[in-house]
Amino acid sequence: MKRFLYILTIIGAAGTAGTLFVRLRAVSAQSTTSVQPAAVPTSTQPPGTTYNPYPTGILPSDLVSEILRVRNEVAGIEAEAIAQWQALTPPILTGQPPTLQGTGQRANVLLGKIMNFDENMSPFKNRACGFCHMPYAGFSGPIPSVNLTMIAYPGSDEFRAGKRTAQRYTYAPFFPVLNYNQEQALFFGGNFWDSRATGYLLGSPDAEQAQHPPVDTQEHALPDTACIAFRLQTAVYRPLFETVWGAGSLNITFPSNTEQICDTPGGATSLGTTSTPITLSAADRTTANNVFDHWGNSLDQYEASPDVSAFSSKYDAFNKGNYTLTSDEQAGMDLFNGKGNCNSCHVDGRGTTSTRLNPGFSPDHSKTASVTPKFTCFGSANEGLPLNPRDAFYYQTTPDAYGFVANSFGFGFRDLGMGTFLRSGPGAAPNPNSDWTQYAPGVDGQFQVSSARDAAMTPTQCPTTEAGTGQPYFQKEFFHNGYIKSLKQLVHFYNTRDKYFQAVTSGHCPSGTTEKVNCWPMPEVSNNIDMTTGDLELTDTEENQIVAFLQTLTDGFTTPYPDRTTFSGTCMSCTLATDPNCTPSTQGNGVLIPTPTLPPCASAICGVAPLPKPPIP
Amino acid sequence: MRKALIVMIAATAGSMLAQVSPTTSKSAGIRITTGPEIELAKEHLTIIRWTTNNPGGSPVHYGIVHYGRDPKDLSQTAKNPIRLNPDHPSTTFRVRMDDLAPRTTYYYTVESIEASGASDGVHSPVKRFITP
Repeated sequence: MKRFLYILTIIGAAGTAGTLFVRLRAVSAQSTTSVQPAAVPTSTQPPGTTYNPYPTGILPSDLVSEILRVRNEVAGIEAEAIAQWQALTPPILTGQPPTLQGTGQRANVLLGKIMNFDENMSPFKNRACGFCHMPYAGFSGPIPSVNLTMIAYPGSDEFRAGKRTAQRYTYAPFFPVLNYNQEQALFFGGNFWDSRATGYLLGSPDAEQAQHPPVDTQEHALPDTACIAFRLQTAVYRPLFETVWGAGSLNITFPSNTEQICDTPGGATSLGTTSTPITLSAADRTTANNVFDHWGNSLDQYEASPDVSAFSSKYDAFNKGNYTLTSDEQAGMDLFNGKGNCNSCHVDGRGTTSTRLNPGFSPDHSKTASVTPKFTCFGSANEGLPLNPRDAFYYQTTPDAYGFVANSFGFGFRDLGMGTFLRSGPGAAPNPNSDWTQYAPGVDGQFQVSSARDAAMTPTQCPTTEAGTGQPYFQKEFFHNGYIKSLKQLVHFYNTRDKYFQAVTSGHCPSGTTEKVNCWPMPEVSNNIDMTTGDLELTDTEENQIVAFLQTLTDGFTTPYPDRTTFSGTCMSCTLATDPNCTPSTQGNGVLIPTPTLPPCASAICGVAPLPKPPIP
Repeated sequence: MRKALIVMIAATAGSMLAQVSPTTSKSAGIRITTGPEIELAKEHLTIIRWTTNNPGGSPVHYGIVHYGRDPKDLSQTAKNPIRLNPDHPSTTFRVRMDDLAPRTTYYYTVESIEASGASDGVHSPVKRFITP
């Protein structure tokens, strides 16, 4: 294994500490290729513009060094992907309709990968899509301390941050175009936690999902979708883009102030309220729009490829007859399909049984109906998660250096998920189908049922998500607001949400109880709570067995998972003797903070027709 | 070869969306077999549950509780979704109410509907409970 040295210049978070120190670390090179990571360029963010409205303790103390660590990893994968493209035999454009014969699909996948890890797609050239979605975390959040604390990831304009956890890419391309099924009276499909990437225009929710973060004010924060084409014009991989999408596809005449505009984060008052601050001719705007669509399409192809959605887990081997589940894994699978009732939403292609709710009915051992089950019903549900006061979004109530305010509601913000999207509400996206708006009250509080696949994915050297198992672990975050910190907690929540209900907010469990163990705070949104779960009467052992089964859904068992070994950080470890929260059940409880007294839900969220029913306080 | 197979599967995924829970035939005679009864009674949260034979129809059903302080005025409504298991002989509905006054007598009756609003045709007799 090769080793290399790199220097991390770690500057204490601006506004919280002025300490400057330098640390020299030896890190194992995890890359499976010989490509050396490029040096991470210094962010172009102007001095003095860092945004830090957070009370002490909201931002993790290692945030700056961890940002640099992940940026370094992103640069490494970018270099690897460019090398893979350069080694690719060029495809041949032929046939009618013209098709890139031979390596055309791989070229498109690699284009998506290269763009996914390109930091230039942000005002300060410091954020790529991959920054929040790294392979070793199942293409979800790569910073353990962020997963433990602030939940949402810091965007290009540091430290603006979003409001939800970084959702896994894995299997996202398989979600259908959002549709309201008249017979079932339910929504299916879309991408994002709130399904706002509907797929209405490109026919692919995943492709449209890829279009949002680059122009999200708290993520990449580009102020104009045309900035993508502008940056691609000077990208080293421009020839690949033009191979895939055609010669001339990037031929746009940009005005001289384009660089200045694209270097300004979205939401800046200096840009006004227009969504197209770059002045282009109609023809050039159309070309730029096409480039933006191609961006989404190519990223979608990357995410749909075996590089991301690999179908290479123990479960897939089991499905083929090439792996025998351990006794705990098998018991967990029976519970997943039986008493736990998990597969009523995380559909695995098999029958469902629930012996507790249906006494006398034996577990279902029917044959699998699908060899590639996605472990999702593609629907949405409100599982009744408590409000997480650590979410960085609540604190972004004052203007940053560009005059932008992310959340004028403070703790008056309530995350209604799909309900807010259908109302085209704050923080969502315009709803492209007004026929759906009437259904908003029925989906308030609902979030997408993600695939259970790769929930347990961790870096190779940190083999588990669970603390206190005797193995190094990688801290992840679960559900839309990251309230849950381990798979054990996740299963325990489904199992006992109602049994251990307390009419308190997080951080205020009664004396004698332990939050997340025998105290679950009240839901953030009480409307439309899915009551399939909440009191499953699973034993502690049975919970652990379901966790064991979930761990069989991690890709990389039959074939190595691409880029899983790129993590260069430090695994977490703990001992129960010195840390009472060194258990999967209490993992993360040491950073719980008391929820402040909540003001009423902002009228711009909960007072918009059609009104939530019942009203949301 | 293996990659090609996976790519092929990925490309044809659009035709595999049938794994969404299948709908089963609507049961001819739906009846309550257990309950309704109080599953949980705490300050600020009461859960009522009851079991019927599997009603069939849409995979998502709603349990509904009509309640009030006067047995002749059950004008308040609580409603929660639940996912059916098509292969089950029975279905347990659970409905939560979090707006109840403490130490108060409430009267209630329950019913269930499909996601479309079509009634399962089940209504319980009026029962009562007292909040803690």
